[in-house]
Amino acid sequence: MAGVLSALKRVYLTAYNWTVFVGWFQVLYFALKTLKESGYRDVYGAVERPLQLAQTAAVLEILHGIVGLVRSPISATLPQIGSRLYVTWGILWSFPEVRTHFLVSSLVISWSITEIIRYSFFGLKEAFGFAPSWLQWLRYSTFLFLYPTGITSEVGLIYTALPFIKASEKYSIRMPNRLNFSFDYLYAAIAVLAIYIPGSPHMYRYMLGQRRKVLSKAKTA
Amino acid sequence: MKVTIVTRSGREVVKGGIVINDSALVSDLQKEIHARVKKYYPSRQRLTLPLATGSRERPSVLNPKKCIKEYAEGNAEDLTVVFKDLGPQVSYSTLFFWEYLGPLIIYPIFYYFPVYKFFGYEDERSIRPVQTYAVYYWCFHYFKRIMETFFVHRFSHATSPLSNVFRNCCYYWSFGSYIAYYVNHPLYTPVCDLQVKIGFGFGLLCQVSNLYCHILLRRLRSPDSSGGYQIPSGFLFNIVTCANYTTEIYQWLGFNIATQTVAGYSFLVVAALIMTNWALAKHRRLKKLFDGKEGRPKYPRRWVILPPFI
Repeated sequence: MAGVLSALKRVYLTAYNWTVFVGWFQVLYFALKTLKESGYRDVYGAVERPLQLAQTAAVLEILHGIVGLVRSPISATLPQIGSRLYVTWGILWSFPEVRTHFLVSSLVISWSITEIIRYSFFGLKEAFGFAPSWLQWLRYSTFLFLYPTGITSEVGLIYTALPFIKASEKYSIRMPNRLNFSFDYLYAAIAVLAIYIPGSPHMYRYMLGQRRKVLSKAKTA
Repeated sequence: MKVTIVTRSGREVVKGGIVINDSALVSDLQKEIHARVKKYYPSRQRLTLPLATGSRERPSVLNPKKCIKEYAEGNAEDLTVVFKDLGPQVSYSTLFFWEYLGPLIIYPIFYYFPVYKFFGYEDERSIRPVQTYAVYYWCFHYFKRIMETFFVHRFSHATSPLSNVFRNCCYYWSFGSYIAYYVNHPLYTPVCDLQVKIGFGFGLLCQVSNLYCHILLRRLRSPDSSGGYQIPSGFLFNIVTCANYTTEIYQWLGFNIATQTVAGYSFLVVAALIMTNWALAKHRRLKKLFDGKEGRPKYPRRWVILPPFI
């Protein structure tokens, strides 16, 4: 029974990782293709579907962590997934005015390269029990460049969206109401930007620590 | 006897150890350590008996009031204790005073001063009766807490880490501001009169009960806190272990029934969760201590904190 369950788990995780891999591969492919053929303003339109699917699928990973299917601590993945979903749905999908910004291109390219490496790494590990060392090196090295480019794109896009958030009143709850509650999506967006200030160096330092740990182990192995 | 004092990583805290009278108390040892290492005043020291490496047990902390000899094996002339620096400490009274002072001062600022102009509300606000009752109820609550801190509570530990001051003040002051903002808002919508009266009436009843619970708890402890744990009894303690937390939670419920804000209710939920955590630990501790064996009384069946749920 245990053997069947563990085999099922492997099949499921292999399928999951490779499916999402294909999604991100499409994002990168369409993004580069569109940049070459028409220009940065059309990139969002070309990648919207696979981007939304692949990024939202990451919610499953939180479930995997909670249920115990994977070992990752949700404390590290939650802020990452949270910010990704916020930008994908809370900014890009909700405020079409920012979709033609050039930062969308740098955003989806940074995200997709990172995810392609990550999902293929896990896909191989689940399917074959190991992943090639060059892939591991990529996984723990590309962030050095892609984190800054990705974070800059995220912050830039949120900042660009602010005037549109203010004008649209979307997702905001005003007083008076029976619950005496209010929520201002503009101030929430500004708070998110503020969190990036301590949050980004924290995440970057965490990844640097992971890199040192993993790659030094690989050297001695 | 000679006492060797080491950190958990093995480094000697006091070079060469301390030679001390056989009849000395642990508190005397702590004073000696403080004399030798100026920054480690006694309340900052946590002294434990060494554990075998790899042992998963919790180390036993040396009781300052006990004789050092009691911790030495047999008639040994040498003792090794493990030292942990608990960091800068403040007295519990200090901690409670600062965390309660925030809400006591911040809330009335939202009531009395034209704060909402800074949020863009230019018009005159008309103050509703419930908002006035609320500021009195709220301030009475935190004034009561401060008075209890200085005149009623007997604390199990003398001190608390300084970092707790920042953490706790963040919690109380932020929630205080959050709730004050909404209850005193120019666009605040009151509930019906009857609900206001029921809410504040019930809340006041619970606050008085809460005070009585604190007085009962005080009587359980002797003035120098040497008694150790007792089974609480009397009043609501006969049915629920942490009746003091119960009355505190219901008191906030009364406030929220009267004022009805998401901010107030969210504070109630968070506070209830925190107190439930504490209550479960206390209940477990009391049940473990009073197990009915060797002449000890058995802890009676009681609710932990919130009948009929838990």
